[in-house]
Amino acid sequence: MKLSPMTAGIDDTGGGASASMISDVEAARFLQHAQMTSRPEDIAAVQKLGFEGWLDAEFARPRGQTGVEWLTAEGHDKVTPEGEYFWPQFGDWMAWNQMLTGEDQMRKRAAFALSQFFVVSLDPIDGFWPPYMIAAYWDLLCKHTFGNFRDLLERVSLNAAMGLYLNTKGNLKEDEATGRRPDENYAREIMQLFTIGLYELNEDGTLKRDENGEPIETYTQDDITNLARVFTGYDYNQKNVKRRDVEWLDYPVPSVDFALDPMVIDVEEHSFLEVNFLGKHIPAGTHPARKFPYVHDVLFNHPNVGPFFGRQMIQRLVKSNPSPDYVARVTAAFNDNGEGVRGDLKAVWKAVLLDPEARTVSGDGMDGKLREPVLRFAQWARTVGVEAEEGTVYCFNTSRSDNALGQSPLRSPSVFNYFRPGYVPPQTEMARADATMPEFQLHNETSTAGYINFLHWTIRWGAPQMRPTYAPLLPIAHDTEVLVDWLNLHLAAGQLSDQTCAVIGTALASKGVTEDSSDDEKKDLLASACLLVMASPEYLIQK
Amino acid sequence: MSKTDHTSLTRRALLQRAGQVGFMGAAGPLAMSLAGVGEAAAFEANDYKALVCVFLYGGNDYANTVVPYDIPNYDKYAHIRGGGPDRGPGGIAIARSALERTALTPVGGPALTDDMQFALNPNMPNLAGLFNKGRAAVQLNVGPLVTPLTKAQFEGNNRDLYPLPPKLFSHNDQQSVWQALGSEGATIGWGGRLGDLAMDSNQQSLLTCISAAGNAVFVAGREALQYQISPSGAIDVNMLSEPAYANDAISYAMRQIITKESSNTLEREFVNVTRRSMEMEGIVNGALADVNLSTSFDTRAGDNPLADQMKIVARLIGAQKALGSKRQVFFVSLGGFDNHDRLMENHPTLVGQVDEAIGSFYAATVEMGVADKVTTFTASDFGRTLARNADGSDHGWGGHHFIVGGAVNGGRYYGTAPHISLDTDDQVGQGRLLPTTAVDEYAATLARWFGASDSELPDVFPNIGNFSNTNMGFV
Repeated sequence: MKLSPMTAGIDDTGGGASASMISDVEAARFLQHAQMTSRPEDIAAVQKLGFEGWLDAEFARPRGQTGVEWLTAEGHDKVTPEGEYFWPQFGDWMAWNQMLTGEDQMRKRAAFALSQFFVVSLDPIDGFWPPYMIAAYWDLLCKHTFGNFRDLLERVSLNAAMGLYLNTKGNLKEDEATGRRPDENYAREIMQLFTIGLYELNEDGTLKRDENGEPIETYTQDDITNLARVFTGYDYNQKNVKRRDVEWLDYPVPSVDFALDPMVIDVEEHSFLEVNFLGKHIPAGTHPARKFPYVHDVLFNHPNVGPFFGRQMIQRLVKSNPSPDYVARVTAAFNDNGEGVRGDLKAVWKAVLLDPEARTVSGDGMDGKLREPVLRFAQWARTVGVEAEEGTVYCFNTSRSDNALGQSPLRSPSVFNYFRPGYVPPQTEMARADATMPEFQLHNETSTAGYINFLHWTIRWGAPQMRPTYAPLLPIAHDTEVLVDWLNLHLAAGQLSDQTCAVIGTALASKGVTEDSSDDEKKDLLASACLLVMASPEYLIQK
Repeated sequence: MSKTDHTSLTRRALLQRAGQVGFMGAAGPLAMSLAGVGEAAAFEANDYKALVCVFLYGGNDYANTVVPYDIPNYDKYAHIRGGGPDRGPGGIAIARSALERTALTPVGGPALTDDMQFALNPNMPNLAGLFNKGRAAVQLNVGPLVTPLTKAQFEGNNRDLYPLPPKLFSHNDQQSVWQALGSEGATIGWGGRLGDLAMDSNQQSLLTCISAAGNAVFVAGREALQYQISPSGAIDVNMLSEPAYANDAISYAMRQIITKESSNTLEREFVNVTRRSMEMEGIVNGALADVNLSTSFDTRAGDNPLADQMKIVARLIGAQKALGSKRQVFFVSLGGFDNHDRLMENHPTLVGQVDEAIGSFYAATVEMGVADKVTTFTASDFGRTLARNADGSDHGWGGHHFIVGGAVNGGRYYGTAPHISLDTDDQVGQGRLLPTTAVDEYAATLARWFGASDSELPDVFPNIGNFSNTNMGFV
């Protein structure tokens, strides 16, 4: 058996590190790649189990409450005269509840990364029960986060929300009489975005070139037109749907089940034309039950998937601009988990998170990534503690950039995600070095100020469904030096400079908070401290 | 033949060269540059001009935006799109009777292909009115091209002689081609390049290229930076002036921290944006405070994010004297045009929002007395298929676009109308239009009006030499 990449590293801060060798800062830095928080108890767990042992424990941790379970527990499946079955905002509440609560946060962190690769956004989802649509999609990602890419891919294709989002739902076969053609949207995006990408890749994620030095396209329009036939005839599964007549509508209200169950085929509406794509041939008349898994096999087994998916997962979790060698090691893990299995996502997460390049701070000024706004906020809320005045914790849609985060979970503006993996901020040193920096696509004159303004209010006062308690910090609020060290470790993985810590410490000391000060005074100080840390570029750039 | 890497001919470089020419005496090969200098100097003229790009993200359905209206062509359209009996609604076809109010009555120009007449989508009365009053023009079938292309050349294999634009039919890449003449990852847009040429004319060079939507490569130049503004104006970091539960010492620390020098590249570039935000906020909001616009941007259908963006652009134009702006390039956008499904449900609302936003914006420029100084144009990822899916249309290539403003030679069509057909040589299948006008030609026409000279065009549009027509004449 060949060595898996995570144990092959020679760097002894890598996956092979024995648990006792892991410093607080190393543990915090690892945790901020792998999940949302690096609280004292998280750091202790990593130090006890080691990086790889901690990941194994997280892989084995039972799932917490799902998005669908939360919606139902909150009564958001109730049929009311107000027509709440059409309200999308419960979907935002669900998404934030998932980001802010539950101890299965490594799973959720990774699922959030998957949600930016297999993108479905709540934005255009309408009709009955949009929250259930997006929740079922989120739950699907969470369910398969530690499973196999191949299973996830086919489940994604059959998911109701994805069906609505990229038009597989209701996609009809060709009709020569009227000139009607199958919709090509899903056929295009499953290739361009969910599996193989536009150009043939080497295992290290660099472009293959033809004899003229040009990139080689992976597919043509003709491949799309052919593959589109496979995705015809699918629609919501009505089998478990119960319909209820209500006096305020002249049509019945369906139960939420169509959003939960995989779509089903109506062979009458399915195209039985032959399919020629990516050099494969499917004869005319082939039954969709054979065709559907086959095309997913073809896409899954394409050599591009490892580097295409792997590089983006590195970008999501660790750094914007990984070396080709790092990408190649993740590709190798995708291609073979060490036991001959392709597409094992656990092996991918390990390869991404345990790689020597992930576990080492290089000191290169171009290293790292800009933390995503959603993750900054989730980290803060989970670290300082938030509670609802009544009921459960959640937040609202935070998509606006002028007075919120400029990003909200499961609210991508399009299937191309909040930012592109290939985004290079114009006229920067990154552009001169041709270094990709996806998250910088959200950074501009409006969002930089809007983010600080949002925090200024929210980290002190929160909202009725998420009041900050600052419980872990109230006991040290009076000791600014201890407090700043605590925040530096647990929010910034020790990456605030001494100078910045001193500036923050001096400013906080001016508040004159003592052990005897009121909790409100202490919270004023603690919120100020978090604000200064979270606005600091030394925190915002995760190295 | 198409990918010449032109050296940068900025206005400064041209002026330097002009100095050399003056010293050495004009020689033949340099005459072209010299001619360019005279035109480049137009940027220093004491006037104001603004270009406003309205980007329709998702790929606009051209066939339900500019709709065949004469009976024979309408009937072909209705047949292809599944129209109902008696020219009524059906499939993804608009009923002919619904088009009466928005029928276009051109004042000039040659007869169109198959004697085509057009109407606009019924939700576009403002644009139809502007067209009929000569303030709006329609550019027919424009899209990305590297060279002029026939269908046979498209279907042939000679990519050396007949290269194709990269990644046709792909959203993100075609957005990038429209905005920056290259597929995704391009970092310099043609609006930004125009900004490079013009920025020295502006007192605040940062206010040359402005996006009221998110970050967009269109307004990124080699030197000109994109300045991003929200619909409510520039955003102040509140706690610097109103610390609330914090205090002045914390405010002071905040200012130090968010503007801190760093040896880390990412931190430094992050801070650069924050600093620009803080430096410009007072200047911009100060100037905006004196702009009183009575034109209403309130719209029929509730939220209209495009109207909100165009309102702040109008207000910035209103502040151009106070801000010392002479040449500005603006970017605004509306998403949601990828109507694979439910086209008849969603597309009318979207084009209605475009119509209201552009209509209000034009009225605002009239109110401010700058209607002939401001030219607005539309762009989109691509046109869509003329053929239908179940209840929508698919990714296409060429499409029809609008140019609006007091300087526009409006009330007529430019370019060539495509046949209403799924099998003629002006489409490449399912009514995906093979463009007969290149984005470069469309854009170069706007760039000339803005003040770019003949000699500067190849630098902004590297493939422009492949096309005979660099001035469509619509403005």
